[in-house]
Amino acid sequence: MKVGVSNLRLKFAGAPSLQFEDLSLHVKESEKILFLGPSGCGKSTLLQVLAGLIPNAVPVPMKADDMVICESTGVVFQDPDAQFCMPYVDEEIAFVLENRAVPQHEMNDLIQYYLDKVGLSFQDPHVEISTLSQGMKQRLAISSMIALEPEVIFLDEPTALLDPEGTSEIWSTIKQIEAKQTMIIVEHKIDEVVDFVDRIVLFNSEGKIIADSDPNTVFSFYKHKIREFGIWYPEVWDEHIKETDLPKDIVRGKEVLSVTNLKGYRGKHPKIQAPEISVCEGEWVAITGKNGAGKSSLLLSLMNVMKTSGEIKVSNQLIKTVHDARSQLAFVFQNPEFQFITHSVYKELAYSLEMINDPNVDEKVNGWLTSYQLEHVKLLHPYQLSTGQKRRLSVGTALFGSQPVLLLDEPTFGQDAQNTFKLLQLFEELRAKGLIIIMVTHDEKIVNNYATRQWIIEKGLLVADRNLERVGEGKAYAMDS
Amino acid sequence: MQWTLNYEETWVHRLNPAFKLVFFLLLFLLLLFIHNPNIITNITVVPLLLLLFSTGHQKKVLLILMLPFLLLFFSSASSMMFFGQGSTTWWKWGLIHITEESFYRGLHIGFRALNFALLGLLFALTTRPVYLFYSLIQQLKVPPRFAYSFMAAVRILPVMLEEFQQLRAALLIRGVKKKKGYRRITQTITLYAVPLLSQSIRRAHRIAVAMEAKRFNNNKRTYYYKPTFSKFDLLFLLYTTIGFGVAFWVGDTFPYFDSTDVRQK
Repeated sequence: MKVGVSNLRLKFAGAPSLQFEDLSLHVKESEKILFLGPSGCGKSTLLQVLAGLIPNAVPVPMKADDMVICESTGVVFQDPDAQFCMPYVDEEIAFVLENRAVPQHEMNDLIQYYLDKVGLSFQDPHVEISTLSQGMKQRLAISSMIALEPEVIFLDEPTALLDPEGTSEIWSTIKQIEAKQTMIIVEHKIDEVVDFVDRIVLFNSEGKIIADSDPNTVFSFYKHKIREFGIWYPEVWDEHIKETDLPKDIVRGKEVLSVTNLKGYRGKHPKIQAPEISVCEGEWVAITGKNGAGKSSLLLSLMNVMKTSGEIKVSNQLIKTVHDARSQLAFVFQNPEFQFITHSVYKELAYSLEMINDPNVDEKVNGWLTSYQLEHVKLLHPYQLSTGQKRRLSVGTALFGSQPVLLLDEPTFGQDAQNTFKLLQLFEELRAKGLIIIMVTHDEKIVNNYATRQWIIEKGLLVADRNLERVGEGKAYAMDS
Repeated sequence: MQWTLNYEETWVHRLNPAFKLVFFLLLFLLLLFIHNPNIITNITVVPLLLLLFSTGHQKKVLLILMLPFLLLFFSSASSMMFFGQGSTTWWKWGLIHITEESFYRGLHIGFRALNFALLGLLFALTTRPVYLFYSLIQQLKVPPRFAYSFMAAVRILPVMLEEFQQLRAALLIRGVKKKKGYRRITQTITLYAVPLLSQSIRRAHRIAVAMEAKRFNNNKRTYYYKPTFSKFDLLFLLYTTIGFGVAFWVGDTFPYFDSTDVRQK
């Protein structure tokens, strides 16, 4: 046995019950294990226990009859922006080497060696980490983890905050690590991991192990559970599309949003340019493009938060200021927490109504609480909600009036499958009522299945605008207009 | 978005950072004991020359950065000049009362403030925090756990700035109504501080765990950077000593202000 724990009992301060009650798990040498389960089931906690981080680095009260913990472990966490303590790439790997007390004169060669292992090649590794893409940052995290020369590798949702491109990058990097390496993985998007692991451990929401076997067995017996837990498994999209009856023939209503010669500036340089746009009622626009191409800038320009030139009209009304924009365009930020300004879910939804002196605040808010499935948490502080609930609340706070357009910046980013589908269905309901949905997304499945139109942005310019038929993967019938 | 300045490395960058820090602190202390406005005016030339010609930053950037310090100079000098006490009245108008003593004292305080500012700016523009902390650990025996925590904290700052911009845009879009009077201050603090702090605290916690996962502890460690002393430290020492020496000598021998000690009544 390489790592393991017998009869683990663990409880978080303030939690009503034990997170783990008499949980046992043993990992053999060179085994690759995947932990699966719903959010909050404690799989990351168990990973941290086995990695020796709990209770040493993260004090959580726990007890176990027997525990085998490896002396040399390496962990990769999910947040690419919260793993590094140094500003430059070479310094970050050097930090690990310093911790291992490697003599200084060997460091430069080793830094190069460990960077090569993850395919990060710089002529001079003295590169600012903040200039790397999120995927490259995670590869750097893997590189510095390998620099520990660990016996057991722990991966705690390493791709949760990456786009599909970055996700593939990470898994192909990890698959290049030696075959006999022992690995424990927690992951929600398992498309690329399933054929790589030897064993899957499935947890239920109470933190109990309900299955522990090879991937095929787990999938044939527990598919329904995996689905219920919101895990992104390979066929989840197909199944979802089969069940939801999405209208294929989109009825496009009258023109609502029209834009001519829009330019959004950051400083003196235009960050985004869109020569001509016209969107009609009931359209669902997906904005795609590389990181930093200017997708979010387009949304911010429409809202007039950035300095803009050109003309924006919504329902024949000219949008000149943020104030004009707010009454016509609802905007949902990528980080929902930034949008919350009160201390309870109810007040959050009522805030904008009270500002426009709406007489039926209570009635309307209660209606929304039901439609966003938030009535059971209406008195909680917005920060106490789960990620899915936070997202739905942020949509609710944005759509306070009768705005005809909903702008969303990567609303499904980092969400599990259940939450994603719930959100998409919410947007589809709104769209069917005639609302225009304009969302930035990296998810091709959303583009192919839900969107009725796609805008592609490249280097700050809207380069393609095409209508899509909702036909699903691979068959995206497009016509450039 | 870019938060760092581009610059060329010069010899001032290659000074030993810990030496630089201690030496600058000593200079600060010395400045407090100079009471002759002639001398302190002359001394200003010493950091000013270095700042203008040896930091490797663009002149435009330097001038912009120095603007607030000029304001500091004028505000601290003028308030002492206008409202300070003295017996030889030069000009009086309402509350404003300029005397010979207050004028020189004002000038002196202005130059002292300017000197502090210039030295501080010189230090900040020519010292990378990472080198400073490595040097503090190795030369001044600062415990690594503090030094590395500071380095991690420095990394969070630009992220916080970016989050601040996002937050401002979000609040603008939500259309938060600004309250009036003192309530506006408390409103601003809660609106900004709560989300920014909650993000930062969580991020700091994650970084701390990640650092421990990389086996950062109190055991013996080696260092990637080994700041040493070089001929540049000697050069800097010579430059400042000679510069200050000349400033003292010229100030004593060829005074251009009547007052030679601002403390005298």
